[in-house]
Amino acid sequence: MNTCSNQRRTKKNERALLLLALTCTVLFLAGVASSQIYLPPPPPEPSEYGKVVLDQFSSNSPGGVVFDHWLHRSKFTCRLCHVDIGFAMQAKATGIQAASNREGFHCGSCHDGKRLYDGKPIFAACGDTSADKQCDRCHSLGKTGVRHYEYKAFVARFPKAYYGVDWQAAERSKAIKPVDFLEGVSLRKNHIEKRRDFTIKAGLPFVQPIVFSHQKHSVWNGCELCHPEIFPTAKKEAVSFSMYMNFDGRQCGACHRKVAFPLNNCGHCHPLGPEWIG
Amino acid sequence: MLKRMFIAVVLITGLAGFSSTRAFGEPASPAAREREAWQKEFDEICSRTQDAMSLSQEELATLIQRADALLPQIEKLDETRKKVYMGRLRMCRGLYEYVLESKKNEKK
Repeated sequence: MNTCSNQRRTKKNERALLLLALTCTVLFLAGVASSQIYLPPPPPEPSEYGKVVLDQFSSNSPGGVVFDHWLHRSKFTCRLCHVDIGFAMQAKATGIQAASNREGFHCGSCHDGKRLYDGKPIFAACGDTSADKQCDRCHSLGKTGVRHYEYKAFVARFPKAYYGVDWQAAERSKAIKPVDFLEGVSLRKNHIEKRRDFTIKAGLPFVQPIVFSHQKHSVWNGCELCHPEIFPTAKKEAVSFSMYMNFDGRQCGACHRKVAFPLNNCGHCHPLGPEWIG
Repeated sequence: MLKRMFIAVVLITGLAGFSSTRAFGEPASPAAREREAWQKEFDEICSRTQDAMSLSQEELATLIQRADALLPQIEKLDETRKKVYMGRLRMCRGLYEYVLESKKNEKK
């Protein structure tokens, strides 16, 4: 009798153990899966980072335009192009066409064959005259030997960080002087008033807060590039940040997953590091 | 003699007339005047974004109203101009609204 009940108890215990093991496995796998979601994808090579192919109207002829952010960001602020000139932050939303360039909009705002940069005229985009025809210089997708700038040679003189060029250090050292005003396009404005830096509490208990520098961000972006389109809520208590949204290209990820330094180095935004290190 | 004097007077009068036209410029057409007016209004509205935080709630509300009033004029522009300036107006109007909202929240 006792032996029989013992056997039943042992079987019950075995089943309970099996159930526990199964539950643990499921929880472990779910944890792994969720941590996979919250891990940023590895960024491409710095030379490829921020590369945009514009082929909405030119995929057949003369071919797609390869736009490299690293080249233009060394010369102009983000604000100048995305606010004053009107390049949208989303792909295919600007509607750049040869005609609009010729009219002096979009690329043609600077690339008109007359405007000077460093004392030299900037070549005309989609110029009508044969002398101006340098289509392949921009429409370079799939073509070799047509570009005038090569990443490695171009950034050689700039200070480097853990990932490509340290653009802030480059500006501090005057290696770059991004232009923020375009005559006939930009508006005369007062200097942006100094905004206080602030901290954002991290959602996880072991992660140190983000130290956000309004100062650093407003120098290149102005105010209206971020507010309200990227950060729409003016109510402080209603703002909710998430790494998932960042990795999805929203919030900080609108720039820091595409052009500005990527999100793979936690210490860049969480400068004090995880709590167990601090 | 009289003939020479007559020719000289005609020439001088003509030159004076020509130079005065050049000095004052050609009279602007109504369409050109309208175009200049919207551009001036746009410049005035959107040139305050850098100091939006120092504007009062009333000033911000006025700028938003002016932006709304300007929109129909921008909608009449040709396709590219319309797209560019509508985008720019949307951005500066949006910022003023955002700052106004945050100022209202601060007061609460």
